[in-house]
Amino acid sequence: MNGASPLPFGDVFFGWSWLDAIIRIVIVVLLMTVVVVYLTYGERKVVARIQQRLGPNRVGPWGLLQGFADAIKLLIKEDIRPRAADRWVFEFAPFLTFIPVLMVLAALPFARDWGVRNVTLGLLFVNAALGLNIVGIMMAGLGSGNKYALLGGVRAAAQMISYEIPLVISILCVAMVAGTLDLNAIAILQEDRPFLLLQPLAFVIFFTAMLSELHRAPFDIPVAESEIVGGYFVEYSGIRWSMFQLTEYASLWAFSIFGSVVFLGGWEFPMGSDWGWGWQLFLTFVKSLAWIIAVMWVRTTVPRLRIDQLMSFCWKVLLPMSLVQLLMNGFILVYDWPQELLTLTSGIGAAALVGFVLYRTARHPSVAHLVGSYKRAGAAAQ
Amino acid sequence: MSIWPEERLDHVDTEGFHTVDMTINVGPQHPATHGVFRMLLTVDGELVTACRPYIGYLHRGLEKLSELNDYRQAMGFWDRTDYLAGLLCEQAYCMAVEKLADIEVPERAEYIRVMLSELSRINSHFMFLGAFGADVGSFGTSFTYAWRERERIYDLIEEVSGDRMFPTYCRPGGVTMDLPENFEKRCREVLGHIYQGIDDLDGLLTGNEIFVERCRALSPLTTERAINLGVTGPVLRSTGLAWDLRKAEPYSVYPHLKFDIPVGLRGDVFDRYMVRLAEMYQSARIVEQCLEQLPGGPFLNPNLPKNLRIDDAEAYVRIEGTKGEYGVYALAKGGNKAYRMKLRSPSFCNLSALSEMVVGHYVADAIIILGSLDIVLGEVDK
Amino acid sequence: MTAENVTLPPLAGAIKKALPKVPCAASLTKTDLDLRVAPADLLALVQGLKDHPDLGFDYLRNVTGLDMQENGLELKYHFYSFKHGHTVQVTVATPPGESHLPTLAGLYAAADWHEREAAEMFGFVFDGHPDPRNLLLEEDLRIHPLLKAHPLQPVEIVQGIEDGRAGFEF
Repeated sequence: MNGASPLPFGDVFFGWSWLDAIIRIVIVVLLMTVVVVYLTYGERKVVARIQQRLGPNRVGPWGLLQGFADAIKLLIKEDIRPRAADRWVFEFAPFLTFIPVLMVLAALPFARDWGVRNVTLGLLFVNAALGLNIVGIMMAGLGSGNKYALLGGVRAAAQMISYEIPLVISILCVAMVAGTLDLNAIAILQEDRPFLLLQPLAFVIFFTAMLSELHRAPFDIPVAESEIVGGYFVEYSGIRWSMFQLTEYASLWAFSIFGSVVFLGGWEFPMGSDWGWGWQLFLTFVKSLAWIIAVMWVRTTVPRLRIDQLMSFCWKVLLPMSLVQLLMNGFILVYDWPQELLTLTSGIGAAALVGFVLYRTARHPSVAHLVGSYKRAGAAAQ
Repeated sequence: MSIWPEERLDHVDTEGFHTVDMTINVGPQHPATHGVFRMLLTVDGELVTACRPYIGYLHRGLEKLSELNDYRQAMGFWDRTDYLAGLLCEQAYCMAVEKLADIEVPERAEYIRVMLSELSRINSHFMFLGAFGADVGSFGTSFTYAWRERERIYDLIEEVSGDRMFPTYCRPGGVTMDLPENFEKRCREVLGHIYQGIDDLDGLLTGNEIFVERCRALSPLTTERAINLGVTGPVLRSTGLAWDLRKAEPYSVYPHLKFDIPVGLRGDVFDRYMVRLAEMYQSARIVEQCLEQLPGGPFLNPNLPKNLRIDDAEAYVRIEGTKGEYGVYALAKGGNKAYRMKLRSPSFCNLSALSEMVVGHYVADAIIILGSLDIVLGEVDK
Repeated sequence: MTAENVTLPPLAGAIKKALPKVPCAASLTKTDLDLRVAPADLLALVQGLKDHPDLGFDYLRNVTGLDMQENGLELKYHFYSFKHGHTVQVTVATPPGESHLPTLAGLYAAADWHEREAAEMFGFVFDGHPDPRNLLLEEDLRIHPLLKAHPLQPVEIVQGIEDGRAGFEF
């Protein structure tokens, strides 16, 4: 437990703790803004690439300034509040969705000993804060005075509360292995192998639950464009709408950094922390980028689940599997069995989870059998 | 909040727990209605308890216009009915006029018509696959995949007729102009892309577990009920009845062509999708055969009167449109205009089955069921 | 009965044999056999066409309204039999001013929308129709645009005529 450094990280600027905190927060918020702007651009480019389009290519070289143009457009757009809306609930909802993400960013370590503040219970804090933005989403859904928004809000609440549980348990499994809730310490513990290798099942559960928490396909039910036209933010425009977008991308970024710290070893793996913070920042960003691109990739290829399928997947598959992972970890750690056993059991679990999903559809004639069957007329849907 | 007009809602009182059904208005501006269709869904939570469709937003008075314009002028309105396969509609219209006036059509013209009609059918089904994928929630990837091939088909149709969507290429008695010189080469090239495109979409959608899981066993229709509801086309064939007007009441040169009628087993949404996919493959086969069998000779009957006048005659001509039985009832009572032209549009009849098909399903599934009917509003509203 | 020398298809004989009590006149169009029947006999004929095992017309293809001007309105039904693969056209003529017809929605679910369309476009009244609202036109619109007498000049919609509802001025 060598990584549990006292608050705050490293040296305090000018010796004043509050000034130091403000400076760090400003840096992180600016960074977040730029990252979000480029995430929207990047997402559009990645999606366009997968969909055989060009994506934005008009504003600036290769469309690089597109995000800023969009941001300016959104800022100067009229902010409309429907008459049926509940005024204060409607107007505060975007902020209440956004603030939890900012709180998360305050606790994330971007490099060794570099973040806004090192929270000793960082893992718990991040999860708690991320769970908070349901409040804002529910407020948006209820306060908009729109039935699509209401449906979206209720769907979001049901979904996020359900998926919170496997998400937290999968994180808890890692915490058991690490023996600490300090994110900085967790990263340092992964110097020679990332926890992904020890806890593949927890990783799969975390990734799935994360997609759900972020309302990303195939769990984009609360914002389903083809059903409820955007869901809870259907009535928002201009700056308030862009707050929701900001939240979406900022939490994607926060989740990806959090996930790469917890599962992929953050800045620590594979080079250790001797290479200086520039290299560490680079590693963190590359890992979170890989994470983000995986999310986008899933988004463009996978259709949406139905709400009951989503719920039963959470309660009947993810939750038991995460409990199994917890139990296995308990046995192995309490009896001090070798770590390879962690990999083995968790690997088997991950394979079982993926296999189960495939089996669910393969129970009828397999999907592989269906592909290409269109050439046999008369037996089209055998 | 004023969106809850309690007096208008049915109070459901189950053991002291008061719930109200909610009415959701879907459309006319909604991403999933494929045009300007509106349905009023009464939902109990997420379950649809009643559905009331409203059509007519695109009503352009096709039948009145056909009475007011002479036989050649009126054709331009008809390819705007099923605007995804304009050539098929032209073919039906021209066949009706030819039937009334006993005009002979040269064989070459028949082959050209069939070839372009089948290309239009492929085009329309590509549109279905793309839009249906988007309905299920694949974030536009299926859409762009389908669009790629549609553009190629449109380009080919443009090379032949000079226009992409509304070519007005057929004439009573043949077609306007002959095929361009390199048509066969270009057509084979496009066919190659079509086969590839069908394969790609098959892999993207049929090969996707979530897609299969969403569509399978959803809203099954029995053959008897489908017949009673007047449902035709792929939706009827998906129930297992191999009824295709190209075989049941052969017209044009279809007796000379070899193709199969794909049928489904259960009549569910997945079968409808599979039948359309298989039909595209069969249509591509038909085009290939037409290219091989294409005879020489005139492309337009040389003995046509300058001004077409038809004495008392009555006919109900029906062809297999992309969505089902595309029927044209025509009554002539002298003069150069029809006394009455009536379109029996397949989308119209298929859509009339919607309200009973969606009841008892989730809102998300209602969207998919609507998508699986593959309506074209230009045809529904005439 | 327009062309006496045209030989009717065997289907005409089969119908005559199966439904001897329903008076109807058979003739041929360019495509199908046509049966002309009085409005009072329509339901009996259609019921017979649907239920008789030799006929088995289980599918209502199309319903077409026609404005025959001084001869009143006509309605043409096209039926198809999936079992036997034959089609018949049934014509019902209603006298001017009394375009009442029995609904077929009880026999064929497909008739629902077809009849609603004919009703709004021509002014038919289908007795016993489950949902006699306008389908393609606005719900409170009471004009029948496919009538030959309907003015071809643009119809100007004037809001507020007739106690607050949308009205029309030709």
